[in-house]
Amino acid sequence: MTRRDANWLIAKAGASVAGQAFLSSWLASAHEMNEGAPAEPDRWINYKPQFFSPEEFAILDRFTTLLIPTDETPGAREAHVAQFIDFIVFSSREYSPETQVEWRKAMDWLRTRHFDEQLMGKMSEPEHEGHHVFQTMKQLAVYGFYTSRIGLIENLEYKGVSYYTSFPACTHPEHRNV
Amino acid sequence: MTLAQAGYKVALIEAGSSISPAKDFHHRLPYQLEFRGMGQPGLLRKHFRGSTEYNYRIMIDDRENPYTTAVDKPFSWSRSRVLGGRTLHWARASDRMSDFEFKAASRDGYGEDWPISYKDVAPYYDRVERFIGVSGAAADLPQFPDGSFLPAMPLNCAETIFKAACGKLGIPVTPRRVAQLTRTLNGRPPCHYCGNCINGCDVNAMFNTVGTTLPPALKTGNVTVLCDSVVSHVLMNEENRASGVRYIERFSQKSFEVSARVVILAGSSLENTRLLLLSQNGGLANSSGVLGHYLMDQVGGAGVTGYLPPLRGSAIRNDDGKAGGLQIPNFNNIGKSRAAKFIRGYGMSASGGAGMFPAFAPSLPGFGSDYKKQVKALYPAYARVWMSGGEMLAQKENFVELDPVVRDKWGIPALKIHCTHSDNDRAVYADFFDRAQEIFHAAKGEITSAKPLMGVPGGLIHEVGTCRMGDDPTKSVLNSFCQTHDVKNLYVFGGGCFVTTGDKHPTLTMMALTARGCDHLIDAVRRSEI
Ligand code: SF4
Repeated sequence: MTRRDANWLIAKAGASVAGQAFLSSWLASAHEMNEGAPAEPDRWINYKPQFFSPEEFAILDRFTTLLIPTDETPGAREAHVAQFIDFIVFSSREYSPETQVEWRKAMDWLRTRHFDEQLMGKMSEPEHEGHHVFQTMKQLAVYGFYTSRIGLIENLEYKGVSYYTSFPACTHPEHRNV
Repeated sequence: MTLAQAGYKVALIEAGSSISPAKDFHHRLPYQLEFRGMGQPGLLRKHFRGSTEYNYRIMIDDRENPYTTAVDKPFSWSRSRVLGGRTLHWARASDRMSDFEFKAASRDGYGEDWPISYKDVAPYYDRVERFIGVSGAAADLPQFPDGSFLPAMPLNCAETIFKAACGKLGIPVTPRRVAQLTRTLNGRPPCHYCGNCINGCDVNAMFNTVGTTLPPALKTGNVTVLCDSVVSHVLMNEENRASGVRYIERFSQKSFEVSARVVILAGSSLENTRLLLLSQNGGLANSSGVLGHYLMDQVGGAGVTGYLPPLRGSAIRNDDGKAGGLQIPNFNNIGKSRAAKFIRGYGMSASGGAGMFPAFAPSLPGFGSDYKKQVKALYPAYARVWMSGGEMLAQKENFVELDPVVRDKWGIPALKIHCTHSDNDRAVYADFFDRAQEIFHAAKGEITSAKPLMGVPGGLIHEVGTCRMGDDPTKSVLNSFCQTHDVKNLYVFGGGCFVTTGDKHPTLTMMALTARGCDHLIDAVRRSEI
């Protein structure tokens, strides 16, 4: 459904009470099936890393899939988080060169320590010397995942940026008392 | 609109480009944008202050429009240069100021009263609200006057819990009053709860000038819109009357003049003042010497965030679809109760639920499947209490002047801003921070981030003052109708006239004072006074 269609529908159907009821249920079913959310542009399938070397990219890929693995729901691999990170770090060259320096350092650190799952576990502890590397990488990886269609729509089931006839009110009596 | 409808020919001169909400604004999810909303890394942070990848094209590029600040006095000036300006992406909060604000000086002895009181502005608040459409509910609080509201938007789960928590603490609350339609009004459709407001509303369900006031004005046939025209001077004649303006065509750099019977400056607070400073040595309409002084923003800064345990793992709903929340009106220094540590007050807001990005996720410890499941469970439980605006005291030493060196792309001197917070401003923020935590605790919420970090001046994008109104021409630039004391046919509309910031969002008051000023102007022209 395009915006024009939705607006037309809301204007026409929304004018009567019966129309509004029909529209609400119709829109609700469309939302449930995640039909409302548009597809993600197909930009990562043939993406070639532009900043990281093949060796670095393999480490990055490993890091992101350990961070957000594929389990019952798709993870960082399906959401192309490593590709997204490469694109962002590459695109930092003009206005944020310090980002490139930081990531290169992070990669050197991981490479010399032969990054693996065990190191990932250690780095995730706040006291570990590599924790800041972990946090830098996690921050962008988490951003990349939860802004992808897989992360935002499929995993989190985000419902906004769509067309509704009303705002969902709280219907829980237990929330009226704390 | 008011002037065009009264039969006057109006030339509307805009420095930025034209825009059409229906064509230029779309629903977009982050994955549809090249940089997922953050823009090219570093670009927005460095040159498009306060913007996102969604809206930076209608914001100002600092490289073309620089401003400077005094050493060690940072000021964040977030600007938009486009037809409709910041109304295209504002927060839409539409609260009336009260006599606790208009007459604050009489109550606590600090500074000056406004030359008007609530009853002078109330009819204009009514008129504006009825025309733009403000959804809200009556709260019956003297410090938070009720208006002519469209039905309020319902509270979501997090807001309902916060409402109960405030009830326990004896703090009155009400749904945030926002200029978003909850039913059709004047041919504009109701809100469809997409939550896209700060990136521009595609159907004009939220108030913006392009979709609301401009169409009826254009319909009169009396308005000529000149976009891409950067006004550089107000022109004066020998009889001390404003005779028109000079502007520079944005792309060709050619200069043009427009003559007029009345000149109205209706840009942003600081751009209006800049223009007066540019128009005459020492500043036009500045016999009082206060032009540029008493710059204010509102007090704001980091809020308190965390989770509401009852919402953990609950079904995901369209929580950020109204882009509003729960309003907690100021309760300090009202009636007989006096806050010991500061004068004036602040408003708060509270909300929560499944907002677009799980802001807590980067700092949530751990990794792996457990981490992923925890993010999902906490997503609908995320909640925050923030400061919607605290009063920043008017101080003469907070001021703007023309920078002696720096000029914009059109060779026009840039503004140099000098602004710092007072001890009272800091005390207001500190008190907010304690109260916000108290509310969170009363809601039985888990606080995850509570670092008091006061924002730099300008950060709330509520900059007002520098062209204050008053009855005494030796202490103010404008009279209570926003007419300059010195030049009778020169009016300055917007936030410049504010004598105090109060604790409300300023836009509704700017609109009401503009409507009031227009009535005065029409009367004055009819009586041939100007
Ligand atoms: S939430 Fe409503 S007002 Fe805001 S952009 Fe969407 S339709 Fe417009």
